[in-house]
Amino acid sequence: METELALNLVDTFAVGMLLLSMLSMATSRMGQLIRYFSLQSLLLAAMAAVSAQATGNTHIYILAAVTLAIKVVIIPRFLRYTMAKINVEREVDTLVGIPGSLLLSAALIMAAYFVTEPLMGSFETLTRNCLALSLSVVFVGLLMMCTRRKAVTEAVGLLMMENGLFLGVMSVSYGMPLLVELGIFLDVLMAVVIIGIFAYRINRTFNSVDTGFLRRLKE
Amino acid sequence: MIPLPELMIGASAVTAAVCALAPRERTISPASIAGSAVVLAAALAMAVAVGTDGPIRYGPWYIDGLSTLFSVTIAAVSLAVSMYSRGYLGFERREGILTTRGERYYYAAVHSFAAVMLLTCTVSSLGMMWIMIEATTLISAFLVGYYRNEQATEAAWKYIMICSVGITLALMGLMLVYASASGVLGSESGALDWPVLMAAASMLDPELMKVAMVFAVIGFGTKMGLAPMHTWLPDAHSQAPTPVSAMLSAALLNCALYAILRFMAVSDASVPGFSGGLLMMFGFASLAAAAAFIIITRDIKRMLAYSSVEHMGIMAIGFGMGTPESVFGALFLVVAHSATKALLFFSAGNAIQAFGTRDMDCIRGMGKRMPFTSSMMASGTLAIVGMPPFSVFVGEAVVLYAAVSAGLYLQAALLAVLVLTVFAGFVMHVFPMISGEPEKEVREPGGMARAAPMVMLLGVSLFLGLFMPDQMRDWLESAATAVLGGV
Amino acid sequence: MTEVSSVIAFAQAVLLLACAPLVTGVIRKMKAMMQHRVGPGVLQPYRDLAKLFRKGEVVSDSSSWLFRFIPYACASAMILLAFMIPSVYAEVFAPYGDLIALVYIFTLYRFAMVLGGLEGGSAFGGMGSSREMMMSVLIEPSLLLSIMAVAALTGGGTDISGIPALLCAMGLSALGPTLILAAASFMITLVAENGRVPFDNPSTHLELTMVHEAMHLEYSGRGLALMEYASMLRLTLFMSMIGTLFFPWGIALTASPADLLGGLAAIAAKMLALAFVIALLESVKSKMRLFRIPNLLTVSFVLSLLAMISLYIL
Repeated sequence: METELALNLVDTFAVGMLLLSMLSMATSRMGQLIRYFSLQSLLLAAMAAVSAQATGNTHIYILAAVTLAIKVVIIPRFLRYTMAKINVEREVDTLVGIPGSLLLSAALIMAAYFVTEPLMGSFETLTRNCLALSLSVVFVGLLMMCTRRKAVTEAVGLLMMENGLFLGVMSVSYGMPLLVELGIFLDVLMAVVIIGIFAYRINRTFNSVDTGFLRRLKE
Repeated sequence: MIPLPELMIGASAVTAAVCALAPRERTISPASIAGSAVVLAAALAMAVAVGTDGPIRYGPWYIDGLSTLFSVTIAAVSLAVSMYSRGYLGFERREGILTTRGERYYYAAVHSFAAVMLLTCTVSSLGMMWIMIEATTLISAFLVGYYRNEQATEAAWKYIMICSVGITLALMGLMLVYASASGVLGSESGALDWPVLMAAASMLDPELMKVAMVFAVIGFGTKMGLAPMHTWLPDAHSQAPTPVSAMLSAALLNCALYAILRFMAVSDASVPGFSGGLLMMFGFASLAAAAAFIIITRDIKRMLAYSSVEHMGIMAIGFGMGTPESVFGALFLVVAHSATKALLFFSAGNAIQAFGTRDMDCIRGMGKRMPFTSSMMASGTLAIVGMPPFSVFVGEAVVLYAAVSAGLYLQAALLAVLVLTVFAGFVMHVFPMISGEPEKEVREPGGMARAAPMVMLLGVSLFLGLFMPDQMRDWLESAATAVLGGV
Repeated sequence: MTEVSSVIAFAQAVLLLACAPLVTGVIRKMKAMMQHRVGPGVLQPYRDLAKLFRKGEVVSDSSSWLFRFIPYACASAMILLAFMIPSVYAEVFAPYGDLIALVYIFTLYRFAMVLGGLEGGSAFGGMGSSREMMMSVLIEPSLLLSIMAVAALTGGGTDISGIPALLCAMGLSALGPTLILAAASFMITLVAENGRVPFDNPSTHLELTMVHEAMHLEYSGRGLALMEYASMLRLTLFMSMIGTLFFPWGIALTASPADLLGGLAAIAAKMLALAFVIALLESVKSKMRLFRIPNLLTVSFVLSLLAMISLYIL
C-alpha cells in the first residue's frame, strides 16, 4: 500500500475517532454512547491494521486483533450486560448540558493542539500527525468523566481516554514492546470488569448509579 | 545461587493462594504470617546481595539499592500487617462482622497486593512497572471497598476512578519517553528498560522529556497522593480495614513514589532540574493541603491519611531539591514514615475497635483504660510530627538542612512552618483522646499478634532515629545514587 | 472569460432554475417509495407552482408594503445565487461575488423570510420567525467555517469558480479529514437550513412542529408561489454546492462537449444520490424536539471548527 494513501487513511481514521468522541459528548442516550465507543475502537483497530500493512511491522497486527477482540466486542458487551443488570435509565445525566460540553471539548481540543504542536516534528512514524488528535481524545474522555454523573458513563469516559492513549502510542512509536501492550490491554479489561462490579455495588447500596449520591465523605 | 527475586515474589503469591485455599480456617492466619516472614527474609537477603555484589540484572529484573530499599520496606510492612491482621480480624470475627470466606478473601487479596507491589519495585522495564502499578489499583480497590457499606463503596469508586485517570495520564508520559528513546535507540524492546534508558538519557529530546515528565508526575502523583490529585486518599485510607490502610499508606504510596523517581532519574539527565521543580511545587501544595485538613478533620483515620499526604509532600520536596543531602534525607523519610505510619494506624485500629467509632471527639480516656495502645499512639504521634529522638525527625531535619545549605531559605521556612502546623493539629486531636474520662467501658483489645508488630515498629522508628549504622548509610547512599542518575 | 464559457455558464444557471422544482419532486417521490406509497409524480411541483401563480392573493390588513415585496426579494436572492454557483461547468456567469457574498446572500434570504413571517401579523408567523433566528445563530458560523475550510484547503482564496478546479487538481489527496469534516458539517447545515427532518418537517402545518412553513403561512397566490419556488431553489443550490465545492470530481473543467456531457451526468448523479440521502433521513429519523436542535447544530459547528483546525495541524 503506497504511503500517501496510507497516511491519508490513517489521518482520516484518527479524525474519525475524534469525531466519535465529540458525538459521544453530544449524545444523550447510553446505548448510543457504548456504540460510539465500540465504533471508535473499531477505527483504532483499522488504523493499526493500516499502519501494520504500510510498514510491515507484524506485531501491530496482533495489537489490532487484540483491540478488535477486547474493545470492540468484549467490553461493549460487558458494559451492556452491566447496564441490564443494573436496570439503569437510558438517559445520560450531564452536569454542563450538551452544547456547553461540546464547546468545552472544542476548547480542550485546541489546548491539546497547542501542547503537542512543538513535539510533532520529532517523530518519524507514519502517523505523527495523530499525536495532537490522540491527546484531544484523551482530554475529551477526561471531560466526559468529569461532567457525566452515571457510573457507566464515567467508565466509558475512562475507556475513551485509553483509546486516545493507544492512538498516541501508535502515532509516536508503532507500539511499545508487545508484552507491555498486552499487559496494558489486560489491565484495561480487568479495570472494566472491576468498574462493572463496583457499579453494581453502588446500585445495590444506593439504589441508583447516579454518582451525585457519592457525597458522604467530606473533610 | 538462589534466585532471590523469584523467591520473594513467588513466596508472596504462594501465600495468597494458600490463604485462599487452606483447608482449615485456623491455619490461614499462621500461614499468612509465615509467608510474609519468608518474603521479608528474601528481601533482606536480596538487599545484602545487592549491597555486596552490585545490582542484580537478569531476565526481567533490575534490582539496585533503590529497589531493595523500597522492597524491604514493603515486605516489612506486609509482615507487620499480617501479624496485626490476625488480632484485628479475630475481633471482627467474634463481633460477627466477618465470615471465614471473608477472611480468606482478605488474606488472598492482601498477599497478592504485596506481591504486585514488590514486582513494581523490582522489574527493569518501565512498561512492566506501569502495568504492576495499575494492577495494585485494581487489587486494592477490593480491599478498600471491603466492608460494602455506602461509604466504603463510595471510597472504592472514587479510588478506582481517580487513580485510573492518573495512571492513564502516566501512561501518556511513558509513551512519550518510549517514543523519544526508541527514536534514539531504535525500536528494540530495550528502550523501556531503565538501565538502558539511563545510559541513553542525555540524548533524549528535552522538549519531549518535559511534556513526558509533566504527565508522569501528575499521573503517578495521583497515585502517590500529591495535592491537588490526592482527593481519593483520605476516603480510601479511612474506609479500608485498618491493616489495609496501613498497607496503603506505608507501602502503596511508596510504589508510586518509586515510579516517579525512576522517571525523574531519566529526565534529569536530559532536562536537569525540570522535574525537580515540578515535584517541589506539588510537594508544597500537598504539605499545605494536608496541614489545613489535619486541623479540621474529625475522623482519626482521615487525619492519618492526610498525614501521609503531608509526608509524601515532604518527600517530594526532598527529592525535588535534587541535592545529595536532600535525597538522602527523603529516602530516609521513606523508611521512617512507613514504620511510623503503620504503627499509628495499628494503634488507631485498636482504639476504633475498642470504642466502636472513628470520630476523635468521641474517644476519650484511652490512657486510663488502654495503657498499651495509648502509649503506642502517643509515641507514634510524637514520632510522626517530627519530634526527636524518633526517625522522622532525622529525615525532616536532613531535608531542612539540605534546603538551607542549598540557599532555598524561603522554601525551608515554609517547610518548617507547615510542619509546625501539622504538629499543632495532631497534638490538638490526639492528646485529648488519651486523657480524660472514658464514657463507656472499653478494654484493651489484647493479643500478642497485635502488640508484637506495634512494638517492633516503634523499635525500628526509635532505632533509626538514634543510630545510623554504616550498612544503613551505605544502603541509603547507593539508593541516592540511583535517584540522582548513577546506575 | 470567453464568450463560449459565459454562454454555457448562463445556460447552466437557467438549467438549475428550471430543474429546482424537479429536485423537490424527486425527493418527494423517493420518500413516498421508501414509505410504500405511490406518492405524487415528480413533475407535481411544477403543476403546484403553476396553479399558485394563477390564483389571486389575499393580503392581511395589518401588513405593510413589505408583505408584497418579500416574495420578490427572496426569489431574486436565490435566482442571483443560481448564477453564482457552478453545477455542470466550473465557470459561473456572475463571478463578482465570492464565498462570503454567498453566505450573506443566504442570510439576506433568511432575513427576508423572517420579516415576511412577522409581517403577516399572526402568531404562527412570529413563532416561526423566532425559531428560525434561533437556528440561524448556530447555522451561520458553521456554514461560514465549513466553506472557509474548503477555501483554505485549496489555497485559492474565496473565489467560487476557482475551487472546483483546484480541488480536482489536488486529486485524491484532497480527500482528507478536512474535506470530510467540512462536508459532514455542511450536510448537517443543509438539512437544517432547508427545513428537513430532523430539524423541521416540510409537510406539516402543526404549530408544534413548524419552523419554515410557519413563515410562509400567511402568503397566498403568486407570493406563495415565489416563496415556495425560492425554497426549492435553495435546496437545489445547497445540493449543488456539495456536488461542486466539496466533491467536485466529474465537473466539466473545459467547454468541450464531451466534458460538458460528463459534467451534466456527474451533477445529475450527485443530485440523485443526495436526494436519496435526504429522503432516507426523512423516512428514517423523526423530528427532534425543539430544544434539542441546538445540540445537533453545535455538533455541526464543532465539526467545521475541527475541519479548520485539522487543516492547520495535519
